[in-house]
Amino acid sequence: MAVPGPIPWDVPAVSRRAADHRESEFARLFEEYSAPIYNYVLRMVGDPDRAADITQDTFIKAYRKLDTVTEASSTRSWLYRIATNTAIDDMRRRRMVSPMGDDAPTYANRPDDRPGPEAQVMAATLDERVQRALLQLRPNHRQCLLLSDLDDMSAHQIGEVMGLSYAAVRTLLCRARGEMRRALAAEGFAR
Amino acid sequence: MTMNRHEPFEELISASLSGDLTDAERQRLDAHLDACAECRGTLAAFADQRRIVAGLRHLAPPRDLGARVRTGIEGGRAGALPWWRRPAAIFAGVGGGLAVVAGALLALVLLNGSPDDPQIGAETPSPTATFAVPSPSPSEPSAPTLPPIVAPTAEASPGESAEPPPSVEPTPTPVGSPEPDVFLALTGPLDNAELSVRDGSDVETALTDAETPAGEPIAAELSPDGEWLAYVTSLGLSGMNEVRATRIAGGEGPAIGATYVLGQSIAGGPFLEHLFWSGDGRQLAFTVADPEGGGTDVWIFEPDAERSWQLTDVGNAYAGSWVAGRPGSEALWVSMAGERPVSYLLSVDANDEAINPADSEFPAAENAFQPIVSPNGAFVIYWTGSMERAGDEWEFTEAGMPWLAENGGDGDGGYEFEQARPLYSDVTIDREAFNSAAIAWGPDSDAYAVWDAAWTGPPQSTIEDYPVENRVYFGHATDPRGLTRVHAIDAGDLPADAYVVDVKVSPTGRHLVITAGRPRPGDLSPPLADLFLITRNTGDLADEVEVIRSGDDGWYGPAAFIGHPRIESP
Repeated sequence: MAVPGPIPWDVPAVSRRAADHRESEFARLFEEYSAPIYNYVLRMVGDPDRAADITQDTFIKAYRKLDTVTEASSTRSWLYRIATNTAIDDMRRRRMVSPMGDDAPTYANRPDDRPGPEAQVMAATLDERVQRALLQLRPNHRQCLLLSDLDDMSAHQIGEVMGLSYAAVRTLLCRARGEMRRALAAEGFAR
Repeated sequence: MTMNRHEPFEELISASLSGDLTDAERQRLDAHLDACAECRGTLAAFADQRRIVAGLRHLAPPRDLGARVRTGIEGGRAGALPWWRRPAAIFAGVGGGLAVVAGALLALVLLNGSPDDPQIGAETPSPTATFAVPSPSPSEPSAPTLPPIVAPTAEASPGESAEPPPSVEPTPTPVGSPEPDVFLALTGPLDNAELSVRDGSDVETALTDAETPAGEPIAAELSPDGEWLAYVTSLGLSGMNEVRATRIAGGEGPAIGATYVLGQSIAGGPFLEHLFWSGDGRQLAFTVADPEGGGTDVWIFEPDAERSWQLTDVGNAYAGSWVAGRPGSEALWVSMAGERPVSYLLSVDANDEAINPADSEFPAAENAFQPIVSPNGAFVIYWTGSMERAGDEWEFTEAGMPWLAENGGDGDGGYEFEQARPLYSDVTIDREAFNSAAIAWGPDSDAYAVWDAAWTGPPQSTIEDYPVENRVYFGHATDPRGLTRVHAIDAGDLPADAYVVDVKVSPTGRHLVITAGRPRPGDLSPPLADLFLITRNTGDLADEVEVIRSGDDGWYGPAAFIGHPRIESP
């Protein structure tokens, strides 16, 4: 029996048009959302390289599932949901591999030979201190807070991304804000 | 728990920042803020915090991100289904009953056309296209039943028939190749070996390269659709294992060769290193011993979603097998180890939050651990006894014994284990018994194999050491004698210095494919492993042993058969 190889075939005209539409739609999505998704994931995991990998995986998955998106209004939530799940999976894997390698977030792990915590707090950039505070939050608190404050999503939109009810998002977001308030205070932010 | 009087307003304050208040809530909050300095402070703090997060520096993604995405997409388009893995077209879209008839006809033709003991290397038909196993639900009257128990007589001499006696009506067995459909192999020099998934045909063909792990593969299970191979590899001398899945066939989705690391676990015993695919191939359940001391919990891998996630978060949970249902609605046995283990049937849904199996909607199976249901759902093997934590996992320390039972439905979505009897019928269970053992059903749902049996009690035979860890015991559910000493494969089947890594029962229920490791004395180099095909003989005839692949130059195995093809619903 011959082992069949790739079958040469011509794409029918209708299918070609559909394929062209799919490509252009995906290109538009990538253009519009690659930077916001990257920054959202970056703040979730605190590591630029991991954020790039997760963003890459997010868009590959999105491409494969592009046909499942039905409403234009939900495209953004759909993309963020994929990104969130991909980031969670990555964090779970990292948590499990911690004894074998460098799992902790880059920000938290960065070696620092300065004299003490206070000097360290004062010397770090604002950005680094906020990132450190974010990484102190539980993952679902961090997601919720970032979706609200970094990506300016409403409770309804956050609910679409996280698969939670409107009421659950409001409760979660409030808890996240309380936790973040304490984490920021530990980083030397007043109030 | 008490709630301070400001808490309801904190939620309103938080919601106000993203414009998520109703008019009534806004009025209520404003009125409260006028009178409450503490909540005004909270509002200011939350508003500051929102400004700080919103003001985080936005970084540009890497310049090559688009190219990386494009490369990933293009890679996923590859991989037409190879000819040997194509589903039989005759089954597609046909009702289960017709598929069963077609399978029976095909099996008959092949029975006539193939010898009882096909030679290794002889051209053999593709199992996927040649048999179909009826999948009766446990409640169907045609489901096979266990025979009455026959008490073992005086100790028999070695070589006694291990086949079911003729009076026992055999379960119809599908016909397939005795060779493994696929197996894993570490190839190349041992200090720089590569892992590949290989076709078990005469001409060894590398189906795909997997990402090479730091150590040898020790367990593997092929998904029922033949598209994914899940496996466990050791991670060198670290004391850790890694669970992986590699795409080896299929059209849409990840490319052939795509490998996912599903998790890392402390290396452990057979309860831990067991992989369970759902019947529809949509989910894989596996157990992880958390290296950070979190105990054992069950994880799920979903190939379609390309993600794995933690199902339980209790620290003493172990995966058992899936229980047939409609595609996409199978339930999973999850066991909680303890002084008195309990098993729960769970409907598995992807949730962010891991669950406690005790919250299952189904009644619990008390004193039952890690139920392993036969592929056709008719029988179940499960453990009873008292367990204790041993290091990072659990094992039986008192009266540990696997039991065999009919797996019946209770008519209300639950289960009933009926006609239960100890799997081993000629050992005395006292306080000291089995710590653990590895168990695998054959695709015919009658044959099963037990190995790695850690027996802590006194020897149960005056003729030879029994039970022993390094022997494989090969039994049939329809054998009224249960499992006895004479069901061990011949002592000389495997090299004296070998240890059993993995066992698979062939689709015919007559053969075993055994991965046997051989340590290399004198250094810490990785061990070698051979693949053996054992044809169990009866009476005074010695077993037939053939070496499928010799590990003189590396590690071959574990192997994996396709159990039975998926029968499409109409």
